[in-house]
Amino acid sequence: MNALQVFEPEAHTVYTIELAAQLAQVPRRLIVLYYKHGLVSPVKDPAGSGWYFDDEAIRVVRRIEYLRSACGLNLAGIKLVMGLMDEVERLRTELRFHHGT
Amino acid sequence: MPIEFKDYYKTLGVPRNASQDDIKKAFRKLARQYHPDVAKEKKGAEEKFKEINEAYEVLGDPQNRSKYDDLGPDGEQAARFQGATGRRGRGRSGPGGDENVEFHFDGTGFSDFFEQFFGRGNRFDGAGEFANPGAGSVEEAGFVHRGSDFESDILVTLEEALLGSERTISLQRVDRRTGQTRTQTLKVRVPPGVHEGQAIRVAGMGEDGIGGGGAGDLYLRVRFAAHPEYRVRGSDLYYGLDLAPWEAVLGTRVIVPTLKDQVSLHIPAGTNQGRQLRIRGRGLPVGRTGSQGDLYVVINIELPQKISEEERELWTKLSQISDFNPRKT
Repeated sequence: MNALQVFEPEAHTVYTIELAAQLAQVPRRLIVLYYKHGLVSPVKDPAGSGWYFDDEAIRVVRRIEYLRSACGLNLAGIKLVMGLMDEVERLRTELRFHHGT
Repeated sequence: MPIEFKDYYKTLGVPRNASQDDIKKAFRKLARQYHPDVAKEKKGAEEKFKEINEAYEVLGDPQNRSKYDDLGPDGEQAARFQGATGRRGRGRSGPGGDENVEFHFDGTGFSDFFEQFFGRGNRFDGAGEFANPGAGSVEEAGFVHRGSDFESDILVTLEEALLGSERTISLQRVDRRTGQTRTQTLKVRVPPGVHEGQAIRVAGMGEDGIGGGGAGDLYLRVRFAAHPEYRVRGSDLYYGLDLAPWEAVLGTRVIVPTLKDQVSLHIPAGTNQGRQLRIRGRGLPVGRTGSQGDLYVVINIELPQKISEEERELWTKLSQISDFNPRKT
């Protein structure tokens, strides 16, 4: 059966920390902890006060959870791995640019 | 369900031992013909362009090319063997992970073959790129397990990034235990201002949850289609401009195509190889700020390969009367 649904994600949807915690299936206090360790950042919302997280932040939090639960890493390990993955991604992107037409 | 092997060399029309430069040239020639932004014959151009772009993604990158070549002339065999599982649902821990379900995509712009070997889900040997495979609340009675997330690349042209677009993706899940196939077709809006690497989150389209746990999400990672004229870096575009030596020495005026229009650009006298001239605001939109990135025109001086006798005499005279010596300390 085909269900034709339309998804119109705003490029810049943001969520409150409570909603983010729900979407990521991660307790609020952990998101705060990750923020304190510089692993995830809220985006600045000029309209409101408080923290707002975007889809990218949700993805990051989920990846941290994966490293924590499935890979058994502690926070120090997670920081190292996340940093390395970001650096590799950045280098790959640079390389792709230089290989381009 | 076996994955169809892609013969990228054939797609670009180059031999297996072609140089990187030949591959780049072959791509540019074909892209100019079939790129949806510039193709004269729109019908069928889009499908053809996807193949060409994918072929260049693999062959144009030495690391990817090496990996592809290792699949060997028996690449077809290798693909069929490894691909027998289709594109795997990204669940590693917990039950109901990737053991039972295959995913097949249509409409993302990339073939299953590409995603299997070269897609984002393949990074770090498949171990680290995908998100949490459902940390359910194990403390609850009855195992509740959130479904895994799933990631795929989605091919986006620069024009789509500029104006936004609506894409139709169909997602086919095959439960290998039961052999049941379920197809879901969804329309996803690609908003204007997306950038390379950005993840478009499609809620609830990942793996189903267990015991009432919610379904995971589908992440579509934006990957810009290679453009015959521009390279992308962040919100900026880079355009290679070829000049004759006298144009670079004397200066000139050229017409530079941008995504939206054409700009008349003054090339100053004495413009060296590699110099970048910036045209402000002709790049891609920068997120939600409403501002625009820039277009950098990168100068490439081309030398005439065949010159007439008269030209040779003039160049020789020039070399004699000029006191310019770049190697002088």
